[in-house]
Amino acid sequence: MAKKVLNVEDDADTRTFVSTVLEENGCIPIMAVDGEEGMEKVREERPDLIILDILMPKESGIKMYHELKTDSSLKDIPVVILSAISKRTFLRSQAALTEFGDETVPEPRAYLEKPVEPEDLAELLKKILG
Amino acid sequence: MKINKMLFVSKFEELRLDALQSLMGLRKAGMNHVVFLHVIQRENVAMRRGIGYFKQEERKLKEIADIRFIDWAETLFEEGMEVGAHIAVGHTVPKILSVAEYEEVDLIVTARRKRGKLEELYAGSETSDLLRRTVKPVLIYNYSSQSGKVGENPFERLLLGLDWSVSPEKMLDFVTAIKGTVKRVDIIHVLREKGIGKLSKTEVQKLERENKKRLGEVCNVLIKERFDARPHLYIGNIEDQIKGGASEHRATMIVLGTESKSIWKERWSGSVSHTLANKSDLPVLIIPAGIR
Repeated sequence: MAKKVLNVEDDADTRTFVSTVLEENGCIPIMAVDGEEGMEKVREERPDLIILDILMPKESGIKMYHELKTDSSLKDIPVVILSAISKRTFLRSQAALTEFGDETVPEPRAYLEKPVEPEDLAELLKKILG
Repeated sequence: MKINKMLFVSKFEELRLDALQSLMGLRKAGMNHVVFLHVIQRENVAMRRGIGYFKQEERKLKEIADIRFIDWAETLFEEGMEVGAHIAVGHTVPKILSVAEYEEVDLIVTARRKRGKLEELYAGSETSDLLRRTVKPVLIYNYSSQSGKVGENPFERLLLGLDWSVSPEKMLDFVTAIKGTVKRVDIIHVLREKGIGKLSKTEVQKLERENKKRLGEVCNVLIKERFDARPHLYIGNIEDQIKGGASEHRATMIVLGTESKSIWKERWSGSVSHTLANKSDLPVLIIPAGIR
């Protein structure tokens, strides 16, 4: 059965790129433009994988990731970060959120800095989704 | 009233990361989310006779803005802040209004914005246009003015200019909301010199007493909230006296209320808040009467 992959991304060009790679690799792409819509789609669709951008309107990927990983019913969904924000910043921001009293969150399954090559993304999809 | 989310509008020439960081004192007042907005002026990319739309130019300008915002966002994310960004093509004021509404921000921060001389003559400055059309508090942030850069915390010493035509309630709500970052509030009301010219000495004294009483009442509201607040009554030209008062009391920011006036009414009757927002060297925070 085809796997559902949610891409949370505000940039239209990147959304087109990711959905094309997903379709070419037999996945069903689901799209959301910010973290707020992303959380709604996660609850509605229960995707097998989430590809998440960081800097977005309304709600950032930092906050959405933290919400996902601190929700017992959603924390097992693998997340790949695809962003121009560095991994170092991402990890530090998660640590800063933890400092404010939340529980520690695990690192994402993979961290890809933009731009990503289609072959690299395809390979990662195979590795995570089988 | 809460100030959790701030919209920071930048053209990159006037408000940069140092200006943004000087506003981080608002974190003590609960601010935890900053939204960046950069508006690419339509005339820089829009259609020109025989040339068409500069799609390549739009891409380039968006990329430049994106790189800058990513750099700023990394700094704020690492401090545990929530950050968002919008890069749009169009006219500045409508874009500010739509993003402020979409993101439900509590405060808009922007530099003073001017138009060409001819356009200002019939349409006023962009700053006045924004102040007329928004229901959100707006900080006109003249970060690097002729008198140098604004200090570390522009909210430290506020000069609250009260005009009884606008209820001070909303202004007090706002000041109370940013309590954690304010050290001192000087409250000033200016009696128009012209208005008292024809009055007898007794009438002037009565007027003085009435205004001092009202100022005292407002001041007491803040004192009850544990602010270091002082009332001051001045006489003269309103804009000049407010500017003078700000310098006398070493204010770091002027806070004013405003009524929504039509452009024509504003032209004829003038508006103290709009004039100061357009001319003051200090940051000017405008709280609209119809604040939402």
